[in-house]
Amino acid sequence: MIAWLRDWLIEFLDKVDWPLLLGLCGVMVASLVVQSSAGGGDSHVVIAQGARFVAGVIAMVMISRIPPARLRTWTPLIFACTLALMPLVFVLGSGRSARLWIHLGFFYLQPGELLKLTVPMMLAWYLHSVRLPPGWLALTICATIIGLPVALIVLQPDLGTGMLVAASGAFAVFLAGMAWWRIGLFVGLGLGSLPIAWQFLMPYQKSRILVFLSPESDPLGTGWNIIQSKIAIGSGGWFGKGWGQGTQAHLDFLPEHTTDFAFSVLSEEWGWIGVMTLFALYLFIVGRSLWIAANARDTYSRLLSGALAMTFSIYVLVNGAMIAGLLPVVGVPMPLLSYGGTSAVSLLASFGVIMSVRAHRKFMG
Amino acid sequence: MRFGTRQTMKNPHAEAEQFRRRAAEGFLIIALALSGLAFGYFRLQVLQHQEYSTRSEANRIKARPIVPARGLIYDRNGKLLADNVPAFRLEITSDKIANLDATLAGLSQLVSITPEELAQFKSTRKAIRSFFPVVLKLRLSEEERARLAVNRYRFPGVDVVPYLTRRYPYGNLFGHVIGYVGRLDVKDLEKLGDSKYSALTHIGKSGIERYYEEKLRGEIGYEEVETNVDGREIRVLKGIPAKPGSDLRLTIDADLQQAMVAAFGDFDGSAVAVDPRTGEILAMVSLPSYDPNLFVNGISFADYKALIDNPSRPLFNRNLQGGGPPGSTIKPFVGLAGLESGLRKPSDRIFSSGEFHIPGQRRGYRDAEAGGVGWVDLKQSIAQSVNTYYYQLAMDMGIQRFDEYLSRYGFGQKTGIDLVGESPGVLPSPEWKRNHSKEPWYLGETVISGIGQGYWVVTALQLAQGVATIADNGVRHRLHLVGAQRQGFDAAWQPEAPMPSVRIADPAHIAAIRDAMVAVVQTGTAHGIGVDAPYQIAGKTGTAQKVGRKGNISLDPHSLPFNLRHQALFISYAPADDPKIAMVVVVEHGGFGASTAAPISRRILDAYLLPKGTAASPVTEPPLPVSKTPDDGEDVTP
Repeated sequence: MIAWLRDWLIEFLDKVDWPLLLGLCGVMVASLVVQSSAGGGDSHVVIAQGARFVAGVIAMVMISRIPPARLRTWTPLIFACTLALMPLVFVLGSGRSARLWIHLGFFYLQPGELLKLTVPMMLAWYLHSVRLPPGWLALTICATIIGLPVALIVLQPDLGTGMLVAASGAFAVFLAGMAWWRIGLFVGLGLGSLPIAWQFLMPYQKSRILVFLSPESDPLGTGWNIIQSKIAIGSGGWFGKGWGQGTQAHLDFLPEHTTDFAFSVLSEEWGWIGVMTLFALYLFIVGRSLWIAANARDTYSRLLSGALAMTFSIYVLVNGAMIAGLLPVVGVPMPLLSYGGTSAVSLLASFGVIMSVRAHRKFMG
Repeated sequence: MRFGTRQTMKNPHAEAEQFRRRAAEGFLIIALALSGLAFGYFRLQVLQHQEYSTRSEANRIKARPIVPARGLIYDRNGKLLADNVPAFRLEITSDKIANLDATLAGLSQLVSITPEELAQFKSTRKAIRSFFPVVLKLRLSEEERARLAVNRYRFPGVDVVPYLTRRYPYGNLFGHVIGYVGRLDVKDLEKLGDSKYSALTHIGKSGIERYYEEKLRGEIGYEEVETNVDGREIRVLKGIPAKPGSDLRLTIDADLQQAMVAAFGDFDGSAVAVDPRTGEILAMVSLPSYDPNLFVNGISFADYKALIDNPSRPLFNRNLQGGGPPGSTIKPFVGLAGLESGLRKPSDRIFSSGEFHIPGQRRGYRDAEAGGVGWVDLKQSIAQSVNTYYYQLAMDMGIQRFDEYLSRYGFGQKTGIDLVGESPGVLPSPEWKRNHSKEPWYLGETVISGIGQGYWVVTALQLAQGVATIADNGVRHRLHLVGAQRQGFDAAWQPEAPMPSVRIADPAHIAAIRDAMVAVVQTGTAHGIGVDAPYQIAGKTGTAQKVGRKGNISLDPHSLPFNLRHQALFISYAPADDPKIAMVVVVEHGGFGASTAAPISRRILDAYLLPKGTAASPVTEPPLPVSKTPDDGEDVTP
C-alpha cells in the first residue's frame, strides 16, 4: 500500500506540469497571507483554508491520475449524479437567503459547484462525438445540457453560480468552433430577453442590480458593501497599507472580508502592485492551461480543459469587477483566494483534470 | 441522427487546428478583459487614490460602542452611596497622529499630565490596535477643557469625550464595603476577552463594585456612526442599544454605619452588625478607612504611598482579610459544643482554683482571677469568663470533636459573604498544624484552643455570623450585603431570594447560652454597659493578645506595628429577648474587651435601637470597673 502510494506519487511528480502547479501554489500562498490578515489574527481561518487546500491538492493529484479516456467513458454517469443532487438541495438544503447547501455531516456540499465541473465535461463528451464546428442540431443539444442544470440552480435561487455554469458550458461550445455569426445571434437574443428575465429575478437579486446602478441609494445594505469595498481598494494606492494594516477590513467596514471581498483586503493592504501580481498569476494559470488544452490528444480533453481554464478566468473577472463596483454584487469568490470549502476543492479538482490531460498527452487512446 | 456516421464525418487534424485558433482568441479576450480590469483598479488605486484615502480616513469611527451607565448603589433606606456624575476625558487615537511625542508634549502645555497617567496611556496603547482611542487623562477641569477647545485645531486625533464617572458621596465611610472602580488596565482587558470592553474606562476593583461588576456594568451596545474627515458625526446608521447596569440596594444602614464609626472615636479596629433574622449586614466598618474617590481617576503616587506607608494599613479590610485569636469570645461557642456533644449539662459545675493542670503535667494554665472563683456552672463560666471551665471542657472533648462542633458553627471556613477575598481563618487542628509545622499536636494546644488562644484565627465576619446564629436560636443565615436589585430607574426593586439558612444547634442548648450571655452584661464582665440600658443586651467580652502585655500597654496604638497590636473584642446582640441586631466589635490595642469594645458596642446599639434623637445621649467614656476580671487567656509558664 505504502509502496504503491509512493510509486504513484513519484509518477505524479514526474508527469505533473510544474509551471501550472507553481502558479496555483502562488495563489494559494497569497490566499493564506490575506486570510491571516483578514481573519483578524484568528488562526482558525488560516488553518481551515490550509486544510481545504490540502484536500483540494489531494483531489487534484488523484484526478490527474485518471486518464482522460476513462474520464470520458464515466462522464454521462458523473453528470447524471451531480444533476440528481440538485433536487435534494430543495428538500435538505440550507443557506442564508437561498438554499444552496447540503449538510454532509463533516462539511457542506454545494451541488452547484460540482456542476461547474460536470457541465463542461458532459459537453466535451457530446462534442467529442460530433463533427465540429457544431451545427444547429448539436447546438440545440448543447443548449439542453447547459439549460437544465442552470435552470435548477437559478431556481435555488443562486444567480451567480447559474451564470458561471452557463459560462463554463458556453466556453466549451465556443472552443468547439461555434461560428462567430451564431455566437453573435445568441448574444443578441440573450440581451434582448433581459427585460423578460428581469421579471423572474428574486427581489434581492433585483435590488442588487438596482443598487449597483446607484450604490448611494442603499447605504445600509449591498450599496454599503460596494462603497466600502471601493474605499478599501482605492485607499490601497500603489503599494497598499501593509499586511494587517487594512483599516477597512479590520474595522469591519468590509462585509464578508474573508470570502467574497477577500480581494478587496488584498487590494487595500498590497496596493495596485499586489493586484497586478495576482492578475499576472491568474493570467499565467489560464494561459498555461489553454496551452495544455491546445496540445491535448483528443477533442474531449481539449474542450474540457480549455473550458475549465476559461471558466477560471471568469471567476477572476467577475469577482474583480464586482468588488470594484464594475458589476452587480453576485456571490462569486476570487478563485483560490477567497475562504470557502467547496469552491477551493472543486477548483483544484478541475486543475486535476487539466493536469491529467497534460500527463496523458503522449498516449493514444 | 448523425451518431452512426460520426467517425467518417470528423477530421481530427482540422479540429485540433480550429481549437488552437479558438484557444488563442479566447486567451486574447481574457487578457484584454483583465487589462481592462487592471485599468479599473489603476483608476481606483492610483488616479483616485487621494479621494478614497481620505474617505478611508474619515471612515475611522464606525461601530461605536455605547457604554451603559453603571448601576447605582443605595443603602437600605435609599440613600445614594455610589453615584455617576458627568465628566470629560482626553482621548488619543494614535493612528491619526503623525508625531505622537510632539502631540503629547503639546498637550502637556495645556493640561497637567502626571507620570502615572502617561505610563498607563503608553501600556494601554501597546495592548490594543492603533485605530482605537486610548484615554490619556480622565476628569478634565473646566479650565483644561476650555484650553483644549481653543487649541483643538492643532491636535488632530485628540478628542475630548464626555462620560460618566463614579462618585462616592460618603467618601471613606464605605471604603471597605462598596470598594471602588478603577481604570481598566491591560490585565482586565485580557481577562474580559472581547475587544468591545476596550470602550470601558473603569471596572470594579474591590468591594461591592468588584463582586457585582457584571450586574453593575450592564451590557455594552453599539451604534454605527458615519463621520467626516474631522471626526464629526454625519449620521447614525443603526445600533444595538446598551443594557444599563442594575442598581443595587444594600442591606447596609448608612446611619448605623456612621454611628459605628463615631462610636470608635480615635480607635482603630473593625465592627460588623448583622440582622440575626436574615443574615443582612446592617453596618460594617474597618478603621482606619480610605477614600475610594481617590482611586476612580487613577490615584497619584503620593496619595498611594501615604496609604501604603500608614502603619494602621487603611487599605486592609480587617473584617474580610484580617482576623486573630477570638479570645474569650469563643467561650459561648465552646460551651454550646459541650452541651451539643452531651458532655455537659448547663448545671454541671467545675472547680476553678486559679490554675489548671493537665493530669501528669507540671505546666499550669492560668485562670483570670488569681486564686480562682470556686465552683462554676455554664452560666457563671461565661458571665465571669472562667478559663478553667473551658480548659477542662476542651480536654474532655478532644481536638477532633472540638473541631467538629466549632466548624459546624462556621469557624475555619468562609462565611460566603458577597465580597471578594474573604479569609477562611484558622480552626486549630492537628491537620492544620501538620501542614504548617513539623511538630506534633500537643494536648496543651487542645486546652488553650478552648479559650480561643493558640493557632486560632477568626475573622470578624465569622464571629458576627456566630453571634447572629445564637441570637436566632441556632439558625444560621448566610451573611450578605445586597438586599435588592433593579434594572434601571423605572423598574421595580427585585428583592434577593432569601439566603440559605441552616439550623446548627438545638434551641434548648442555645437558650442556656443566651441566658449566660445576658448575665455577662447584667452581672458579669461587661455589666458596666448594661446597668442603664433601656433594653436588654446579651454579649461576651474577649481579649486577644498578640504580644506580651508587659511594658507594651502604654504604647500609642497608632504607632504600634499592625501585627503586634492586641485586640479587645465584644460580641453582642439586642434586645436580648427579641434580637434585632447582632454585632462584633474589635478594638485594636483597646485594653480589655470590657473596657473599650463593650462601651463602643453599647453606643452603636443605642444608635440602632433607640428612637432617633435619644441616641444622642451615649454612654460616657469608659469609667468601667476594669479591675473586676482582666479577661484574658494568657497561659502561665510554670
